[in-house]
Amino acid sequence: MKSKIIIGPWSYLTGAILLAVLNTLLFAALHTPWQITTGITYWAAWIFKFLGGAPENWHYFANNASKSEGLSQSFLSNSLSLMNFGVIFGALLAVLIASQFKVKKIKSPKQIFAALLGGIIMGYGTRIALGCNIGAFFSAIPSLSVSGWVWGISAFIGAWVGSKLLIKYLL
Amino acid sequence: MKKVKTKKDQRAYFWFFSFLALILIFLFGITSPYLGYYWLFGILFGFVLQKSRFCFAAAFRDPIIAGSTSLFRAVLVAMAIMTVFFTLIQYNAVQGGALTIPGRISPVGVHTIAGGFIFGIGMVIAGGCATGTLMRIGEGFFMQVIVLIGFLIGTLWGAWDYPWWERVFISNSPTLHLAQYFGWTGAVIFQLVLIAVLYYIAKKYDDQNNILL
Repeated sequence: MKSKIIIGPWSYLTGAILLAVLNTLLFAALHTPWQITTGITYWAAWIFKFLGGAPENWHYFANNASKSEGLSQSFLSNSLSLMNFGVIFGALLAVLIASQFKVKKIKSPKQIFAALLGGIIMGYGTRIALGCNIGAFFSAIPSLSVSGWVWGISAFIGAWVGSKLLIKYLL
Repeated sequence: MKKVKTKKDQRAYFWFFSFLALILIFLFGITSPYLGYYWLFGILFGFVLQKSRFCFAAAFRDPIIAGSTSLFRAVLVAMAIMTVFFTLIQYNAVQGGALTIPGRISPVGVHTIAGGFIFGIGMVIAGGCATGTLMRIGEGFFMQVIVLIGFLIGTLWGAWDYPWWERVFISNSPTLHLAQYFGWTGAVIFQLVLIAVLYYIAKKYDDQNNILL
């Protein structure tokens, strides 16, 4: 029993219930439910700024008070950025407690291409749909937002197309 | 279930990093109110995601590729629980005089469909969604660092193009909240029934199609 908790894996249902409780506590305590990709967009904008770009002048950031404030902060002073680092850190703790940490290398160039392409279209998709599987789905449906259901159906159809591509070209 | 081979005892690192995380809660918390809590919530989310191997990409993909809906059904259970509590939080906020309903309520339109659709393709070919990517970086997967680099490029590109999407679609799209149509109680009941029906269909589908059974 003790080793099952420490080593895992926990059942999907256990995970689902705990994620639901955590998201509810986050919403109740800090007034906004879980989101990921606004924080990732800040990461991208800060890196772009470091490379010499001026994203603070972009309409996306400049015309939105909370986004221009977020952009003026940094990796460790912005709440959404920090919460994302926390997810990475928490997963690290979860593998370390079970002594399962292992660096896993990339196997083939084809995988790199798929990873990069998949990442790019996911990233673009989050900006136009106003969130990812967390902000536009996992936190949106419980908020009774119709957008959450529409996002879910659209992502499901996308996943169907993606699966066909996966089977045809990658597996 | 495949047994994970443990190479050596890494628990000393666990205690070291836990100690570090605890100190950081204080250090972040003292620079700005609530910042330490965001850090803590992130850690708890990451820990639970990894321990339960919770992957939203797989929740959408496994029904299609393997006929398995166990993860999809777990997501539905989480949705049902949160529906009750999120609505209570929203209701109490509105009763308390809030001018806008709190939560993630966004305009719904062509941009939602287009963005959700390409996100769905991307998460399957990249082998992970936004949370899954962060989680696997923590687990030590190098591949997901590449996915994150792609994600950073894509999200910046999307932010650059955002004015067009906003002008053409988002600003013309309605923001729809279920309580507008059904009232607060009706909206919760409607959504819970919808989730229950989906759960039932997913269970039946799994019984007939799961190639792993």
